[in-house]
Amino acid sequence: MKELLERELIVVAGKGGVGKTTIAGALGALSAGTGRATAVVEMTGAGSLAGLLADGKPSYDGREIRPGLHIFSISASKAVEEYLLRHIRFRRLYDLVFGNRFIAPFMNAVLGLNDLISLGKVMDLGWEVDAEGKRRFEMLVLDSPATGHGLTMLRSPRAMMELARKGPLHNNAQLVDELLSDPSRAALVLVTLPEETPVNETVEMAAQLEQQGGIQVAAIVINGVPVSPLSDGEEDAYRRFVATTDSRAGGEVGRALREVGRMIARRDRAQVQIDRLHAALDVPTVEVPMLPSRHLGEEQLATVVGLLEDLP
Amino acid sequence: MSLLPLIDQRLLICCGTGGVGKTTISAAIALMAARKGKRVLVLTIDPARRLADTLGVRDLPNQAMPIPVKQLADATPITGELSALMLDVKSTWDDAVRRYAPAPEVADQILENRFYQKITEGISGTQEYSAILRLLDVVEEERYDLIVVDTPPARNALEFLDAPRRISGVLEEGVLHWLITPRFTSKWAGARIFGKGSAALFQIFERFVGADVLRNISEFLTSFSSLFDTIHGRAERVQSLLRQPSSSFLLVTQPTTMAVRDAVAFHGQLQDAQVPFGGLIVNRMHWSTPGVPAAEPPRGPDAFPAEPPGEVDPVIYERMVARVWELHQVYCRWARHDREVVDGLQESFGADYPCQEVPDLQIDLTDLRALSMLEPYLI
Repeated sequence: MKELLERELIVVAGKGGVGKTTIAGALGALSAGTGRATAVVEMTGAGSLAGLLADGKPSYDGREIRPGLHIFSISASKAVEEYLLRHIRFRRLYDLVFGNRFIAPFMNAVLGLNDLISLGKVMDLGWEVDAEGKRRFEMLVLDSPATGHGLTMLRSPRAMMELARKGPLHNNAQLVDELLSDPSRAALVLVTLPEETPVNETVEMAAQLEQQGGIQVAAIVINGVPVSPLSDGEEDAYRRFVATTDSRAGGEVGRALREVGRMIARRDRAQVQIDRLHAALDVPTVEVPMLPSRHLGEEQLATVVGLLEDLP
Repeated sequence: MSLLPLIDQRLLICCGTGGVGKTTISAAIALMAARKGKRVLVLTIDPARRLADTLGVRDLPNQAMPIPVKQLADATPITGELSALMLDVKSTWDDAVRRYAPAPEVADQILENRFYQKITEGISGTQEYSAILRLLDVVEEERYDLIVVDTPPARNALEFLDAPRRISGVLEEGVLHWLITPRFTSKWAGARIFGKGSAALFQIFERFVGADVLRNISEFLTSFSSLFDTIHGRAERVQSLLRQPSSSFLLVTQPTTMAVRDAVAFHGQLQDAQVPFGGLIVNRMHWSTPGVPAAEPPRGPDAFPAEPPGEVDPVIYERMVARVWELHQVYCRWARHDREVVDGLQESFGADYPCQEVPDLQIDLTDLRALSMLEPYLI
């Protein structure tokens, strides 16, 4: 894992609901554990990170939840406002242009302004220094938006550079792009589930990233892997027993056997998807088992952190 | 109450958050209706690959593909017809542009415009908008008794209903148009109305993104305005179609705390939008023996016999029996949890609507037969 953790930026991406925030939080904890000042940043401003790792509200300006680990919740609209106000200087003019209900969505949708400026805001954290000129954060972990949007976001610096050939937005985009496309500084970790659609999206996303250049896919985390309900020997005994159970089919024992059958089927189906992922992509993977609860307590976080240590 | 009466509707719109199995449920409902003699189309958005293969829609997106349901005819012959259509956002838009542009050159101009390409690729709501446009196309073909629509995954029910209006807000000849276009055309009327304010705004824009970007936007808005009214008019027609009594919205959910919270919110939003609500489908239910199972596995010839089946080591057999029972207890706990969740849901929805529970069967939807396994749970 040394190599991944020695970079400056890890972007965690994947389809919605696959557990990106959990993995981003665990990577942050892992990095902070190595003694590097770390910031985990979520891009929705919704505070799922704060809800997962600590019991608290989202904080745009960040807060330290354990020694060396800060969490930030960046909302795009606030970051855009902050950026544009810095450049336009006049509040009323800003309100007039960007407060307009037609212009704001257009700027976001067509120019990808939200994405670029949110990314820029994250990078700003990396460039912050203290009084002695020492970097405030040595590692940034970015919990990016869901797949489709995440890809658009990672593409936003180049898209902007193509659109605007000069000006403040162009310069901003160039700085962000330089960091993203340097594999010694930045890496992407894809999170997926062992299910058909998430695996397809992961394979497609990796292919698109490869094609568009930019950030390097360093690892894939397969989250929520169902555990085998029975040991190998027990499973064999189960199969032989089931073959003789016609007389029990209607009763509670038959029901129990079918339930276990579904658990086995679920594990087998997950395995098919995991194999498919391995066949399609030559990227190191780590499997994280299905966790019993959505709240990431200390113990669960430690489990995930322990598993992620196996990454290259 | 069953979902069966709903197949006499003209439009069934399945909505719900992502990952609840909306596409599968939509296809299963369509199949059920075809079995009952209807000519049915299922319009899907983003089916998982195997389901797309089962429906045969992957090779020709945006086309209605007839599905050979006759091969399913087991006990009851299938008298209806089933077709499936997988939406393709870009070709829906491209078709609309070609069809409604006043001249082929205008269509070409739009299709080649960089901003048009960006909008059809990514702007949030285009998927919903194109689903709505494509829906009207197939309604107008009048080839189907029933169309089942699988909506894009959304956090909010209104995303589907409101998408046309939201996008129209962006594309309309509104402030943006007045602001940008006069700079590049001889039509200075806008600038005169907005006067100096417009000039200042324009300069800010230009400073940020450059003049060529603005020119591109302006060209797009100018060409697009010639067909915008037609397209928007069509989207508005769908809005009224969706509110007719022959349409019903179905809410698909699953028994997790988060999905249920979303479903209740969705229902409220559908009511606010005054669309006809048809019922609720709770997918991936755990079903088991009601109540709490005995602490120890039942033994005996009709349960777990004392003797293992031949060749199985007795020690491993005993471990397997204990483990199966332990897992059964876990499964029953899940089932009790799901029951509570659904009871709570039904209470908040009231008894006026069907609430259909579909068990978590862990089946692979490799063919239509697998899909039809869901049917008994929908009736």
